[in-house]
Amino acid sequence: MKPDAMHLGLPSSEKLKEYRIWDSYFTPSLSHPGADGSSGLFADIERSLPAIRKARFEKLCYFAHVGIGTTTDAGYEQRVQKNPDIVLKPLERWQDLLLGMIQLNPNNVPASLDALNQWLRDGPMLGVYFPGSGPGALTCTHRNFHPLVERIAQLKGIVMQHTWFKTGGKQGAGESTPLELAELASKFPEQKFLCAHAGGEWENGIRAVRDSPNIFVETSGFDSTAGFLEMAVRELGAERIVFGSHLPTRSLGTELAKITTAAISDEDRKKILGENYRKLIKVAM
Amino acid sequence: MIPRRKFLHLTASTGAASVIAGKNLCAEEPAIRRLSDGECDPGHGSVELQIIDTNVSLFHWPFRRLPLAEIDALRSKLRELNIASAWTGSFEGLLHRDIAGVNQRLAEACRSHTELIPIGSLNPILPDWKNDLRICVEAHRMTGVRLYPNYHGYSLNDTRFREFLDSATQSGLFVQIAISLEDTRTQHPSFQVADVDPEPLVELLPKIPNARIQLLNYRPKALVLERLAKISGLSFDIARIEGTDGVPLLVKKCLAGSVMFGSHAPFLIPEAALIRVHEASLTDDAMLKAILWGNAHRFARRNNS
Repeated sequence: MKPDAMHLGLPSSEKLKEYRIWDSYFTPSLSHPGADGSSGLFADIERSLPAIRKARFEKLCYFAHVGIGTTTDAGYEQRVQKNPDIVLKPLERWQDLLLGMIQLNPNNVPASLDALNQWLRDGPMLGVYFPGSGPGALTCTHRNFHPLVERIAQLKGIVMQHTWFKTGGKQGAGESTPLELAELASKFPEQKFLCAHAGGEWENGIRAVRDSPNIFVETSGFDSTAGFLEMAVRELGAERIVFGSHLPTRSLGTELAKITTAAISDEDRKKILGENYRKLIKVAM
Repeated sequence: MIPRRKFLHLTASTGAASVIAGKNLCAEEPAIRRLSDGECDPGHGSVELQIIDTNVSLFHWPFRRLPLAEIDALRSKLRELNIASAWTGSFEGLLHRDIAGVNQRLAEACRSHTELIPIGSLNPILPDWKNDLRICVEAHRMTGVRLYPNYHGYSLNDTRFREFLDSATQSGLFVQIAISLEDTRTQHPSFQVADVDPEPLVELLPKIPNARIQLLNYRPKALVLERLAKISGLSFDIARIEGTDGVPLLVKKCLAGSVMFGSHAPFLIPEAALIRVHEASLTDDAMLKAILWGNAHRFARRNNS
């Protein structure tokens, strides 16, 4: 990037527009949307808007709780079961900006299968998110994943799996590592999986999924450690990398700079910032 | 020893800060303390900024080759980002025990690159650390030193740290404490170090008048920050502050003038911290100026004023 194009660390507004940024990992109120089903979400989306506008994002995908036990709030779970339309409020308010996936609960397979029919088959959600913590977390090598992934594949949805390789070991029993995702993905070669956070400790994470062509890595959720994207492009190819912002709990600076400053071609940058994700979404749409 | 100043001219436009790199360089300076001259003091009319990065390191990170590890690449990046002055430590200071050698190499590397202000490494549990401190002051004319307590194996409760802080303060040095260098979750499995607990500073710092401490790479926990934020003489950088509005919230919680720009380059991508300062559009021109330059300027010169 030329010095005169810098705007306090950001590329020019024109360049950002040219990138056509689609965010695959937007996390407003990720663990709880607010007791009424949307107030927490709305507040976090509003909080994120200055950064979203500054970086000229075109689309952001968030992960909705749909009343199948992915929160610890029994009151919320009942409320959304009785009135599922509250799930749609953010999509209605920001219909030009937001895309949605649902959080699945592999600890409750029947409810999750019903949710897949309700939200993927009948729309408007594009895929699923398997969380790494909370009551919906389960390590992705568990057999409960098999009927769920089979159904997701039938519905042409995409799968975002939370992953981390943590030094010292897992911090929760339901966490998954990229190696475990690779094991799951090997059983469903036609299904596309997104390896959220590239495993966090990305030097191991990239290696773990390198030989799994149906796994893409997502770029958010760890510090802006230099060299990540260069290794990811070298080992996986730019076609297997998708950008995530993790806004608002992570900063735009942390997440966008990983992509905009990496020593890669601008063509690869465009793929990572939006093209690759649009191709995945197109299948789901 | 000639740090140069570059100015950024900040213009407000439709809520988004835009910056144009200025070419006007100010008078040459023999040392960072000359920043107190005021001859180039920004302000008056157009809003002008220069950037001081308080958290940069030279040489090789022990566990990975970094894209900006080489000094020319790092300097080029600093210029690109209009960072006029970088307080520069040495990654060698983490594990080497010949600290005098570490600091000598750092001083030599910085000597011909005047935007790099050498910040010596110190380890107060090594025998005769006072000699290392003396060399930093007398031979290298350093204005600050950097500590790595978690890598060197002591806590801020340690009496040797207290003794060091007394000595450093009497010598007119500011002290940077690296609370972390890397997320504990991603550290090499054979070399795991917990973050430094800064809480002992709540009791200690008020007992040492004129002490100046900056915490580097600190990701504050709310309750501890509440106590730390009220301590005079304690400052923070923003290298690992997270959340889209994390920096303005930190500024709001802390004493005026105590939050400074620091990137932790080249381990972290320097643009990340720079974007973080303004991304939430909650930083007005005055706050931007203070974080990017003014607070560090005042912190560095306080001993001379």
